[in-house]
Amino acid sequence: MIPQALLRNALYLLRGAEFTVLLSAGSIVLSTVVGAIVALSHAFGPTPLRILVELYLFLVRGIPLLILLFAMYYMLPYAGIDLNPIAGGILVIGIYYGAFMSQVFRAAILSLPKSQWDAARGLGMRLPLILQIVVFPQAFRIAAPPFVNTCMQLVKSTSLVSIIGLWELTMAGREAVERTLAPFQIFAGVALIYFCICFSLASYGRYLEKRMQYVH
Amino acid sequence: MPLDLNFIVRNLPLFGRGLIVTVELSLLAIGLAMAWGLVVAFGRMARVRWLRTVAGAYIELVRDTPVLVQMYFIYFGFSMAGFGMSGFLSGLLALSLQNGGYIAEIYRAGIESISVKQVEGGKALGMSRWDVMSIVVLPQALVRVISPLANQFIVIIKDTSLVSAIAVAELTQIGKLLTERSAASYEVFLTIAVLYLMMTGIVSGLSRLAERQFAIYH
Repeated sequence: MIPQALLRNALYLLRGAEFTVLLSAGSIVLSTVVGAIVALSHAFGPTPLRILVELYLFLVRGIPLLILLFAMYYMLPYAGIDLNPIAGGILVIGIYYGAFMSQVFRAAILSLPKSQWDAARGLGMRLPLILQIVVFPQAFRIAAPPFVNTCMQLVKSTSLVSIIGLWELTMAGREAVERTLAPFQIFAGVALIYFCICFSLASYGRYLEKRMQYVH
Repeated sequence: MPLDLNFIVRNLPLFGRGLIVTVELSLLAIGLAMAWGLVVAFGRMARVRWLRTVAGAYIELVRDTPVLVQMYFIYFGFSMAGFGMSGFLSGLLALSLQNGGYIAEIYRAGIESISVKQVEGGKALGMSRWDVMSIVVLPQALVRVISPLANQFIVIIKDTSLVSAIAVAELTQIGKLLTERSAASYEVFLTIAVLYLMMTGIVSGLSRLAERQFAIYH
């Protein structure tokens, strides 16, 4: 039994995967920047800023990503903003996942023992310097495994943009199914490509986690 | 742009219909995922080696592929194979299968977080394997899994929005239809967002309540 429909469309799906990777990479960069800013404001910012951050986290935690994608798709044109759909997708996914990234970073920053802060302050260091040479080098290591995990969730979430009409792997799969009428084969192939990406990320995350244990 | 509250009130029955479908789907998916997760978790911790391998592979498979692709696989695949399922059923199946994998790992983490010394202590007192499990381990593990379980429930509620892509008239789909019909996109998305926030808010509130209720102090 040779999956002919899948083999004939393999290249087409791989081209879709290229867009998925592109979309994921852009969103990961944006969400990392957003997450870092939000985490620092959440941990060290003044109270009004912290309340704003809490509100943002509350909204992202409770509203489905798809709703925000739809909102962008339907509402931005009314607001007179004409955004390239790929840029729009990256924007929404990046801001959405920025919330999850910020949780990862904040947990890493706050996981350092208080004694290190006290020691650094005792040596006369100010906050930026403490962060730079005491907190960040250690927090990076602690944050690495959950960061990779969040990236994997993000890659899976990029499939949602196919619902608002963006062309990437899932959309390519749907088109291939319409042509070949072989949904099991095609979607199994689509799932396999996602699996390859996500499984490598998950394995890398586990490797980082294991290596972490030797540090302490 | 002023909000047209009248529009929201006028369409409340329609939103209500979508909300009911979303709540139904969420509750069913949560129930099924919890039950299926239990089966997978026991497979993952079984004494038989091949059972552990199969359960582990299953968890990896469902967690490393998007739930939307799983829904398409079930919905379009089975309809082409001749025994089509409704969008609701396909979505329910995909949500239960994927979240069953996640929930199995939550159960396992909860059970394994109970110290081995307690299990050994129980055995030394002459308790059977089942007694150790049901009297010593599970009551403590259950308290510890409340919060991660609630998080997973919230993920499930949010993911029910995806079945709008396979023609189920739930909240998101209703919102899409209303937007296309009326162009009142602000009102529609605001209402839907608030409804989702209410559902997820209820879950996180209940979980906090349950955690306080069943807290074990060490």
